[in-house]
Amino acid sequence: MNIELQVLGSALRGVAEEMGAVLVRSAFSANIKERRDCSAALFDDRGRMVAQAEHIPVHLGAMPEAVAAVRAHEPAPGEVWFLNDPYTGGTHLPDVTLVSRTELGFAVTRAHHADVGGREPGSMPADSRRLEEEGVVIPPTRLDEASLAAAVADMRNVEERYGDFRAQLAAHRLAERRVAELCERRGRARVAAAMEELYRYSERRVRAGIAALPDGRWQAADVLEAPEGELRIEVALTIAGDELELDFAGTAPQHAGNLNCPLAVTRSACYFVVRCLTDPDVPASGGAYEPVTVRAPLGTLVNATPPAAVAAGNVETSCRLVDCVFRAFAGATDAPAQGQGTMNNVTLGNDRFTYYETLAGGQGACPRADGPSAVHVTMSNTLNTPVEALELSYPLRVERYALRRGSGGGGRFTGGDGVVRELRVLEGCRLSLISERRSTAPGGAAGGEPGARGRNLVNGEDVPAKATLDLSAGDVLRVETPGGGGFGQ
Amino acid sequence: MAVLGVDVGGTFTDAVLLADGEVRTAKVATARRQEESVVAAARAVGAADVERFTHGTTVATNALLERKGARTAFVATAGFEHLLHLRRQNRRHLYRLCEQHPEPLVPLERCFGVDERVGPGGVLRPLRLDSLPDLEGVEAVAVCLLFAFREPEHERLVAGELRRRLPAARVVASHEVAPEFREYERASTTAADAYLGPVVSRYLRALAAACAEARLPEPLVLRSSGGVATVDEAAAHPAFALVSGPAGGAVGAALIARRSGFADAISLDMGGTSTDVCLIAGGEVGRASERAVGGLPIRLPTVDVHTVGAGGGSIAWLDAGGALRVGPHSAGADPGPACYGRGGTEPTVTDANLVLGRLPFTLAGGLQLDPDAAERALGDVDPGDVVRVVNAEMLRALRVVSVERGHDPREFALVAFGGAGPLHACELAEELEIGTVLVPAAAGVLSALGLVAGDERRDGVRSYVVPLAEAGELPEAGEADLRYAGQSFELTVALGPQLAERFHRAHEERYGYADRHRPLELVAVRTAEIRPGPDLELPPAPPLRVTGPAVAELEGATCWVPAGWVGERDGQGTTILRRT
Repeated sequence: MNIELQVLGSALRGVAEEMGAVLVRSAFSANIKERRDCSAALFDDRGRMVAQAEHIPVHLGAMPEAVAAVRAHEPAPGEVWFLNDPYTGGTHLPDVTLVSRTELGFAVTRAHHADVGGREPGSMPADSRRLEEEGVVIPPTRLDEASLAAAVADMRNVEERYGDFRAQLAAHRLAERRVAELCERRGRARVAAAMEELYRYSERRVRAGIAALPDGRWQAADVLEAPEGELRIEVALTIAGDELELDFAGTAPQHAGNLNCPLAVTRSACYFVVRCLTDPDVPASGGAYEPVTVRAPLGTLVNATPPAAVAAGNVETSCRLVDCVFRAFAGATDAPAQGQGTMNNVTLGNDRFTYYETLAGGQGACPRADGPSAVHVTMSNTLNTPVEALELSYPLRVERYALRRGSGGGGRFTGGDGVVRELRVLEGCRLSLISERRSTAPGGAAGGEPGARGRNLVNGEDVPAKATLDLSAGDVLRVETPGGGGFGQ
Repeated sequence: MAVLGVDVGGTFTDAVLLADGEVRTAKVATARRQEESVVAAARAVGAADVERFTHGTTVATNALLERKGARTAFVATAGFEHLLHLRRQNRRHLYRLCEQHPEPLVPLERCFGVDERVGPGGVLRPLRLDSLPDLEGVEAVAVCLLFAFREPEHERLVAGELRRRLPAARVVASHEVAPEFREYERASTTAADAYLGPVVSRYLRALAAACAEARLPEPLVLRSSGGVATVDEAAAHPAFALVSGPAGGAVGAALIARRSGFADAISLDMGGTSTDVCLIAGGEVGRASERAVGGLPIRLPTVDVHTVGAGGGSIAWLDAGGALRVGPHSAGADPGPACYGRGGTEPTVTDANLVLGRLPFTLAGGLQLDPDAAERALGDVDPGDVVRVVNAEMLRALRVVSVERGHDPREFALVAFGGAGPLHACELAEELEIGTVLVPAAAGVLSALGLVAGDERRDGVRSYVVPLAEAGELPEAGEADLRYAGQSFELTVALGPQLAERFHRAHEERYGYADRHRPLELVAVRTAEIRPGPDLELPPAPPLRVTGPAVAELEGATCWVPAGWVGERDGQGTTILRRT
């Protein structure tokens, strides 16, 4: 490969990383600043992702849709656009994406805002049935004072929202400056060539990884725990040469609740698995997914249409898609056992505060290693909020935070343990709980045992996997997260 | 009067002696018992009548990395016993799902809870000392209770009781070592301090005895912050010395830059397997309040050195996408690069430099280099490409400490040292539009020179986490960690008048915006008691002029001067290279 392009590519990746650092360090929501639920990326002139600062895998496949949606409006240089509509470039409403034109291509940031309005504080209702209930829906819109004020008006904690938007804007201004500097010093044509090479390089590496797998067709299925009964996910994997296809035909129709995924989320889940199994260290660019085709029938759980609600699709269905796709790959290569398969989304809030956290669990064991304990396992990798930071800022008290010992499935290699976390609320508030693997257990692989199912309790009484309820001062929520499956006998 | 500095590295122990206006240097091989190497190096450099002796050590770092510390127990607030094992809940690698984090220093079976609870407003549950477990058989105990950074009374009582029950054990309470909020990072630091205590104290006692026997004064130990501490202080809290090695280099680079008239500089210490870079502003080494060592967060003041895993011995290879990569694998000192002729067959950065004519056939230490072996190892790989790829790694590191922190590198000089630093410095400077490169006379032993010159420095920290308006009177000198109320990351601003306005400006510089209406929160105040180090007179060196392209063979290092650069040695022995 041309070394000059390689060096320029390294500079472009540095710009994306610098954008991510600015965003995390100057944001206000606990979710962005403590937990890093955000991503930043550079795109080329044709709308292809060439470099990404990765914090969260679920943003992988979804950013290109956002850029495509904004490009359709022919943005002028210097303009910043924003959106969160899952059906035009978004994932779920709290993820707000900004897209701006740079000297050459586009800069994109995506951050999970603590609240975007809607029926429930924290905008992650457990039982929404239409998108509008989940918050303000922003189609691709040019960002200026008026449009931002209009969008923020219906959200909670307006000051915090402005603070987070300013942090995102700071990352965009930085990207504009850096890309312009590079173009001035190296010439636009060379920078464009470097972008092309970043794209092609990742593509070559992933193609090499796929080519090393046997050709063939494998199928797998798994279920989601909807309040009204199990929903089935089916996938067929076809590997042919250095390309592969994942087809979700046979998957349940879209859900009356909010377990639906826009196609972008389904793609992210597939890309995540391909990356884990082919080349975990490939630099993030759209080229890595060029050899991957995802087919998802319209109107199903995995390619929902408006006005279906989607709050849980991005966080929970995406986990199950990963489980299911890994299981399909198990026929072709060494794939890990299933991990906790949920993010255990806890949202607490009232008129004065909103707090959102997700909880770690057990990773499934791998063919040659135990699964780690107390980690996020699939599409998330957010940090926990330190107990001391949490209690200094919110009317909440952590009563217990511990490993859930023995919850990992047995086997030649043991699945990781989940965690136990108890939160006491110190004033009355609403609880929205979105979790999975409460009635079905994370599966083992190659004869390994399943991990323990998760449990949710309020004041010692079981509550369902998905629940929205009022808590009084002094009530205690206890979440026991699932363990990972074991591998081998 | 004579001033002595001895820096112990993985392969060599370096000594610098300043006596009668003369600088003498020596290198000896590092022995298994570091105190023997220290004395041997002091002897090799002819140390006599030494008035001040400063020491940089890797004993603490090695014990941590090799897991050779004490059998340690951990005591937390009941319900939070697993703190060290829960970490921050993120996995090690996004896509390698079963990659494990480094094992905590205390295994689960030695993690215990004590019945008590302090919250943000004070005691929520009284301490019951009788709930403390029996800890027979442990050599050290780390105690970290929730909110002890604010209200340490419970922690103090627990530590006191443990010291009474286990008089032979090292007991460390979190508020004694890192009284700052965020319990995991504080616990991790406390555990490391307790774990290292017995090993490091044993070493320092042995060292003090060896020094007394060799008629050397008791050494001062360089801490991660770049300041020095007495043997007793260093033994009391060894976690403070975990970055001792790189700190010496950064302090030495700052000294060299200041002496040659450059207050603002970036140090580039490129060794065999890794490279350390550090920003120096206003003559002062940049400092940070946290750094990971061996994958474990250590929340203590440290020189803000950024390390990348590439150096002169790094191996070049082609990856699956056809890209040329350099490092992180290194040929090390044994077998070393192919051109060392000791059996190395894989191409390294040093081999590329030799083939490009940037190295002499005989190195300063007398080692003969074999250009044919280097060419054979490189094969079809263009040596220029190897240098360009490794330079790209270095550039990213240099950008991290400069542009990513709001500094324009064009306003800085680059101080190049370590075996390979002076070979790459001019090209790196060109990329960053830096106009000046400094190569010190002591390029091979600069860390030891930094020891000779280091200030005596004691760092203190007090945690606040209150609105700035309610913080009361603050010390006159020192630094404040401030943030906008609601943010999670702090910016460190020097104490003094117009503190708030200077925070707004710093925020603007770093993140591109300020919000002057938003209230500020004071997180911590950091103070340092500083007694300046000795005023060094660096002796003059013979004049030297060089015009690129040229290879300049300096004492202990080889410098590549590309076309368009000229160099001249100044009165301090530092070669100043400038872009024409």
